[in-house]
Amino acid sequence: MRLVNVSYSYRRRAPTVLRGVEMALAPGDVAEVVGANGAGKSTLLRLMAGLARPTAGTISGRPVVVGFAPDRFPAEQPFTVTAYLTHQARIRRARFEPWIDRLGMALLMNERLRDLSKGSAHKVGLVQALMAEPGLLVLDEPFAGLDADTRAELPAIVTEVAGRGGMVVVSDHQGGLRGLPSVRRWAVLDGEVKESTGSTPPVTAAPPADVVVTVPADEVPAFMARMRGDGYQARELDRA
Amino acid sequence: MIALTLFRLAAFARSHRVVRALLPVLVLLALAYGVRAPLGQEVTALTDTAVLLVPLLAWSARSLLDTEPDQQRAISATAVGSPSREVAAGLLAALVVTSAFAALAVVWGLLLGVSELPSRGELAAAIALHALSALAGTALGALTSRPILPSPALSIMMLVLGFMAMLLVSLSPAAWLTVPLGGWMRAAADGLLTEGLPWLAVPSLLWPLLGLAAYTRLRRARP
Repeated sequence: MRLVNVSYSYRRRAPTVLRGVEMALAPGDVAEVVGANGAGKSTLLRLMAGLARPTAGTISGRPVVVGFAPDRFPAEQPFTVTAYLTHQARIRRARFEPWIDRLGMALLMNERLRDLSKGSAHKVGLVQALMAEPGLLVLDEPFAGLDADTRAELPAIVTEVAGRGGMVVVSDHQGGLRGLPSVRRWAVLDGEVKESTGSTPPVTAAPPADVVVTVPADEVPAFMARMRGDGYQARELDRA
Repeated sequence: MIALTLFRLAAFARSHRVVRALLPVLVLLALAYGVRAPLGQEVTALTDTAVLLVPLLAWSARSLLDTEPDQQRAISATAVGSPSREVAAGLLAALVVTSAFAALAVVWGLLLGVSELPSRGELAAAIALHALSALAGTALGALTSRPILPSPALSIMMLVLGFMAMLLVSLSPAAWLTVPLGGWMRAAADGLLTEGLPWLAVPSLLWPLLGLAAYTRLRRARP
């Protein structure tokens, strides 16, 4: 996916929010978008998700299936969690059930959306974005308000999406993806987007050590994803 | 896209906004058909109601389109594959609601509003006018919905003014500039509705379709 000389302003004569953005994403890339409030992070994300058209420039190569979770889930809708997700699953022709346990939502399913806490509502937003195996996953401030378990799970989910060739773009100023290896960092400043060249800081400064862990074969993918999600270099040695 | 249309209809029904939209329609029907029209006045009575329904159906269409929170619109657009499909699903849902209300008006009118059923040709013409009324209402409602006119006060004012303009212009020499609501009423009063309908149908279809095209175009810059 490629952004060529992309500019955006809300109205014809309004000041440009973004200008001259040149970026490319390859399958499996994870990009973290950082910048001050109001710098244009959300606008960049909406452009990438195809929700807004660039005022100038082009965006090409967007995958067919896009998952988008806004920074604030619109909870003022007359549905229970189950009813809402059932509708979304029909629209996307996908299944939401596998995500319920993973995000710890089993007890929320009969709640009305408007009764949910901010973090719980946010999870509903994540599930609808994730359920159709998106080729491009766009998450706007996904770590805000989440409980510790889900915060810890999210890097693993991002790694999984990237692992099967999806692209992931996350805006975040809480450093929630800091542990992931090879995250690209895009900084939005004064309407321009620059990729910072500094590599991800290592999780620890201590010398590396190899550890062998024995895991039931069917749990291997999840385990590997979790370890990678935590920022460790994990590889499989042997499946007996 | 059909799944998204059903989602929007479900939200409209479950939020009880459908009641707020239906209530004025029921009031209009109760007033219009409170007394059965005298013999020979069937077509006039049905046509007058079709004209007066336009702003109420516009209100219903706008109410349905505005049920969805802005962020949900973004979610829906990614879920259904593109913003243009999201726009189409919304318009389809609005058209379903306005058509259902217009159908209710026809049935109510025939059961309680007339002394005698009109001839088959006149009945077909009256049904066609109600369908055109639903289309005109959908277009006016879409053009005054939140993505186009974010201020509620301005939006309601434009809805009412839009209908008044439609009515007044259609009674003036420049009637071809709008949906010929005045022409509908005049043709019905003169007993010429069945013969005149094909001519009236052209501008009655053209202007709402242009309105919907304008809405679709405007929505490209207002996702």
